[in-house]
Amino acid sequence: MELGLSFSVSSSSSHYPLTSPSLHCLPTQALSSPQPLISVSPESECRPPKVAAELTPDPRVGEAWGITLHPSQLSGPQSVQGSGMPEPRSPQLGSCLASGCLPGEQILAWAPGVRKGLEPELPGTLICTNLRVTFQPCGWQRRQETPLSSDYDFALVNIGQLEAVSSLSRVQLHRPGSLLKFIPEEILIHGRDFRLLRVGFEAGGLEPQAFQVTMAIVQARAQSSQTQQYSGITLSKAGQSSGSRKSPIPLLETPEDWETERKKQGANSWRVSLVNERFDVATSLPRYFWVPNRTLDSEVRRAFGHFHQGRGPRLSWHHPGGSDLLRCGGFYTASDPNKEDIRSVESMLQAGHSDVVLVDTMDELPSLADVQLAHLRLRALCLPDSSVSEDKWLSALEGTRWLDYVRSCLRKASDISVLVTSRVRSVVLQERGDRDFNGLLSSLVQLLSAPEARTLLGFQSLVQREWVAAGHPFLTRLGVTGVSEKAPVFLLFLDCVWQLLQQFPAEFEFSEFFLLALHDSVRVPDTLTFLRDNPWERGKQSGQFNSYTQVYTPGYSHPPAGNSINSQLSVWDWDLRYSNEQILQFHNPGYDPEHCQDSWLPRQQPSFMVRGPPSSVWLFSRGALTALNQLCPWRDSPCLLTVSSRWLPRPAISSESLADQEWGLPSHWGACPLPAGLLLPGYLGPQIRLWRRCYLRGRPEVQRGLSAPTITGLQDELSRLQELIKKWTPRTSPEDRSQKGDPNPILSQSR
Amino acid sequence: EIHTNEKEVTEKEVTLHLLPGEQLLCEASTVLKYVQEDSCQRGIYGKLVCTDFKIAFLGDDESALDSDETQFKNKIIGENDITLHCVDQIYGVFDEKKKTLFGQLKKYPEKLIIHCKDLRVFHFCLRYTKEEEVKRIVSGIVHHTLATKRLKRLFLFSYATAVHSNTPTNPKNHTVMFDTLEDWCWELERTKGSMKYKAVSVNEGYKVCERLPAYFVVPAPLPEESVSRFQGHGIPIWCWSYHNGCALLKMSALPKEQDDGILQTHKNFLDGIYRVIHRPPYEIVKTEDLSSNFLSLPDIQTAYSKFKQLFLIDNSTEFWDTDIKWFSLLESSSWLDIIRRCLKKAIEVIECLDAQNTSVLLVEENASDLCCLVSSLVQVMMDPHCRTRAGFQSLVQKEWVAGGHCFLDRCNHLRQSDKEEVPVFLLFLDCVWQLVHQHPPAFEFTETYLTVLSDSLYIPIFSTFFFNSPHQKEMNLGREGQDAHSTPLHLLTVWDWSVQFESRAQALLQNPLYVEKPKLDKGQRKGTHLKHQRQLSLPLTQSKSSPKRGFFREETDHLIKNLLGKRISKLINYSDELQDSFREFYDSWHSKPADYHGLLLPHIEGPEIRVWAQRYLRWIPEAQILGGGAVAMTSRLVGMMEEVRSLQEKINERHHHQTALPAEAPSLLRSSARLSSLFPFALLQRHSSKPVLPTSGWKALGDEEDLARREDEFVDLGEV
Repeated sequence: MELGLSFSVSSSSSHYPLTSPSLHCLPTQALSSPQPLISVSPESECRPPKVAAELTPDPRVGEAWGITLHPSQLSGPQSVQGSGMPEPRSPQLGSCLASGCLPGEQILAWAPGVRKGLEPELPGTLICTNLRVTFQPCGWQRRQETPLSSDYDFALVNIGQLEAVSSLSRVQLHRPGSLLKFIPEEILIHGRDFRLLRVGFEAGGLEPQAFQVTMAIVQARAQSSQTQQYSGITLSKAGQSSGSRKSPIPLLETPEDWETERKKQGANSWRVSLVNERFDVATSLPRYFWVPNRTLDSEVRRAFGHFHQGRGPRLSWHHPGGSDLLRCGGFYTASDPNKEDIRSVESMLQAGHSDVVLVDTMDELPSLADVQLAHLRLRALCLPDSSVSEDKWLSALEGTRWLDYVRSCLRKASDISVLVTSRVRSVVLQERGDRDFNGLLSSLVQLLSAPEARTLLGFQSLVQREWVAAGHPFLTRLGVTGVSEKAPVFLLFLDCVWQLLQQFPAEFEFSEFFLLALHDSVRVPDTLTFLRDNPWERGKQSGQFNSYTQVYTPGYSHPPAGNSINSQLSVWDWDLRYSNEQILQFHNPGYDPEHCQDSWLPRQQPSFMVRGPPSSVWLFSRGALTALNQLCPWRDSPCLLTVSSRWLPRPAISSESLADQEWGLPSHWGACPLPAGLLLPGYLGPQIRLWRRCYLRGRPEVQRGLSAPTITGLQDELSRLQELIKKWTPRTSPEDRSQKGDPNPILSQSR
Repeated sequence: EIHTNEKEVTEKEVTLHLLPGEQLLCEASTVLKYVQEDSCQRGIYGKLVCTDFKIAFLGDDESALDSDETQFKNKIIGENDITLHCVDQIYGVFDEKKKTLFGQLKKYPEKLIIHCKDLRVFHFCLRYTKEEEVKRIVSGIVHHTLATKRLKRLFLFSYATAVHSNTPTNPKNHTVMFDTLEDWCWELERTKGSMKYKAVSVNEGYKVCERLPAYFVVPAPLPEESVSRFQGHGIPIWCWSYHNGCALLKMSALPKEQDDGILQTHKNFLDGIYRVIHRPPYEIVKTEDLSSNFLSLPDIQTAYSKFKQLFLIDNSTEFWDTDIKWFSLLESSSWLDIIRRCLKKAIEVIECLDAQNTSVLLVEENASDLCCLVSSLVQVMMDPHCRTRAGFQSLVQKEWVAGGHCFLDRCNHLRQSDKEEVPVFLLFLDCVWQLVHQHPPAFEFTETYLTVLSDSLYIPIFSTFFFNSPHQKEMNLGREGQDAHSTPLHLLTVWDWSVQFESRAQALLQNPLYVEKPKLDKGQRKGTHLKHQRQLSLPLTQSKSSPKRGFFREETDHLIKNLLGKRISKLINYSDELQDSFREFYDSWHSKPADYHGLLLPHIEGPEIRVWAQRYLRWIPEAQILGGGAVAMTSRLVGMMEEVRSLQEKINERHHHQTALPAEAPSLLRSSARLSSLFPFALLQRHSSKPVLPTSGWKALGDEEDLARREDEFVDLGEV
């Protein structure tokens, strides 16, 4: 390893393994070292990097963590000395930097600077490490409990665009080769998550450092994407503090989790199948899933073989009224199933119902490429220097088509909710891959029809089940791996949820702030939740299959004992990145808990649940139901889902939503009692809005605005709202309140 | 084919409610009113009548709605009533072809489509009506709504004459009407402008000028004869004083003349005027000419007529067709852009008043259109008093009614000239709505208030919006031409909301989130007063430049920042120094937390200007979100207020605390049923032809208590 420079923090003379991104090999007390040394480690330990074992062998891996910059460009210890760094600042700065350092993290360069754009302007230090770019305000200490910061951290993969500005010129730095020809006075880092970090550098002798940090960011970013060493930092926080730590929500990695969830939903005719426990049915499927009671595991195995990538029909959600929402991949038409197989496929699709509706998921929805294009356009539009003038803003927004896609997702989800709620039936979402829009629609349908899913806990479990466990390829879709199938389907989903939050402000327990936190989490390298493409890879990395090592490549090294499933951190451990005050803001103060009480189950209205005609099979497409002769395509062609449907505008005549057909005229909605708990979203042009606080965060003029484009701003707004609510609490003596109990649970939470 | 819920015509004929002085002109029976115009056509049979006040449809099932007490109901205008002034366009359908109806008709349509100015759309099918009735009703409606009218023939006068004998005691509301000298003096005192400005009565009896109100305020040293010199043209008229002593003034421009001599006299006159107001104690006056470099009235007219077309939807098919291009259609109307420009102009004026310590003189041809708009916007943003209900109403009274905005012409109430019809006041309300929407806690009134106010423009029983000037109102109040012994007619003002709404419904006009300004203690008040004095004593030259920029270093810093800022954000393109100072002011205000009882600025960037959804979308059933919208949050807040109140009561009477009273529902918002996002307007839209849920369905569930609770809910669903 040549020129392995590292900023290792240690009180002893031991060197850290430069190449190990993993925490487990590191002495934890290093973090709290009082007097860190800045040292160059000339050699690394011989332990092979873990990442290398599972990723394609790359000749560059050996130097993955090394720096290929010219030594003079680096602000290592020597250069600090050499550049005439003011002596008194060093120790102070050293401890400041050290306190923020993660295990295995190396500081590549740093420079004092001032964060701009947001008020007030913060003096501090801009640090580039091999994992992230972070801005540390002066005097700010990372707390031990929250080693990562949502406000100041920028993961390297999150950097979308880097700009260096001086009074004379302004350049974008794309490739590692791009050479900066001037000393930057300010750099702007545009995040892929629409955030903007704007740091200005002070004049006065420290210009070389500004230059170095800029170049280091360019290099580090290139390296992080080139070598794909994206491993996720498994933090041993749990080991440090509380021994075994319980995940805040069930991660659905044990059969017990699935069984509990099944019971909660009241899906009595379903059972947890262990058939995929060793991922031999499909690696993209979770190890456990729900299948009908009467189906044997052998039948499941055979039936699943006739679906694309082995993703056969599984239960997503059981409606308390009796309907079932299923999801599955496309039929694998090349297979030639025998009669028995066809029968078991059919019975699994029917799930004991006489009325089956197959929903062609991709019908009327954008393709993955469409979504990706729209998102890119949206990001370009929301960049602060987009050349769109104000009076052309709206049509430019329309031109991105992003809102159009949001709208079609909402419309489809609304239609499916009506299908599920109006009759007792089995509704099967069928998408060829079953890993993108099936998850999106099934989650949206549950948000619309199950008040439980609208709670903070319920929503996180929903995402964990329908996205994480169901094998949404996060890594590929978010473009971290560089594979071509990029499409931010999950971000599209979050936008849809935000629209619902806007439309039904009193129905959701979580706030916009929470959605924003989730939005920002998808590219943060702290947990594996969003950093793997399927449950198999995720489990492999976290080492939870100690007893199943034969499934994996022999080169895989066993993780240290004690790294049990429980200590696995997930994105739902919010306290890694968010302070307690911030987590409190996850609650929507306007949430009316009446909407989700025990009243939920009795509230189901059987009069809405009309039994369908016997053995009817329908295809739901273009907003209308068409009768089908058969469920499976194999008996005689043509088959319905092999023909890929294109995204087309709905013919005008059927543009009325299904809700109108099921429940009469839309103008009667006021009078018509919709089933309690069911929300039907609006999806007209004027009702679909731009998520300003998310997408326009990077604009200087919006950043300055009061209406909370930033997380802190949003906090202000929330607290202001809470302040207002507090004004109505009676001015009574404390003992009165304690006797009466607080009338408002939300208020008491926030106190 | 047409499916109707063919109900037997009930024995009881639905009675037409006539206002005092209202006369039935013509009627037609078995008219079918479509509930919705699309592939599945349904409707209600009933009678279509036309009076000298309104067009009304008397549906057969209206009695059911009448019994419903909980509605947000307008007492004057029913659900199926259209006042004659509210009619925007009338179309007839001849053999599936839609044509505008006007003038003398040769052929009579089988269907009548009425577009209203409050954006309702009515479809009446005349196919089952007798031919002569069709002729009578169609020509009646077309004539009485679209033909040019004389002012004296307005329903306003017949109504006032009829209620004359039993004049209702006008309940004291706190709106200042600005029709007496005292009102102006009061306003001068309130804004502490009385040191430099004086109320004059030179125009008493409208001797000087018919455009101006009888009383108004001018700079104190201005000689009274100069007021009468050019019939009130060319003199600065006071609008409002800021607490730093700067004032907002307006002036109607002197008439354009070709003759050099006259021009010279004009120039000398104006020089004299300026000399008066430029001399201390007056601040430097900056002149803002609204006739040039700003919006023109035709711009506003075109934009609005394009914009409203987006919401006047004949059928849902058409609606869905346009929906896909929503944003570009919206943009091409440029109505939102016009709103933005108005808000921006107001901020520019505020920047002068607040940051540069200069007075601002708005100049317009008659000082009665954009002057009213800009000056009242400035006051809404700067003066927290104008964000209370009484204050806002006084402001409209001062700037628009007394200020001589030609409501009669601008609303085209008399159908005299379509060219003159420009929705300037509506534009003002829309601008205010943007502010209300962006800073809801700062306003005592709600968006519903603004919506019903905009509807009141077309109700001809209120005098507020039916005259071009105070002079015109005075002249037509009957002193001349009437018997000597008769007292002048009593006209209602729109600010008397009890005429239109019950007090329960009026509660929706009040913002529950509004908190009144906390009273300053004496020390603080003294402090501000002192500061005030100091600013006054500053020499004029220094007040020109803001104290922020003095030192060289800061100056260059500022310059660099500007250069950089300009490159970074191209969103708002400004070129000159003036715009930079505007931007600086705008940015610095927005970077600080807002004081709801102080200066309030709106965001004016592209994405921030929104469509006033409540006003424009309320009649479109597709836009309804059941259980959603801002209403959900408001009702939640109101519910919590109730809860707190009832808990407080319980604590007060501790000995009663065992017997928990069931929470009553005093407010319209308080109901267990989910409200529609279009509340309170969507309810008016409802025609229940949907079979009601059989109650037996409930029996299977739960225990008795549960059942009772749910049955309550069920009743609510039916009634609310």
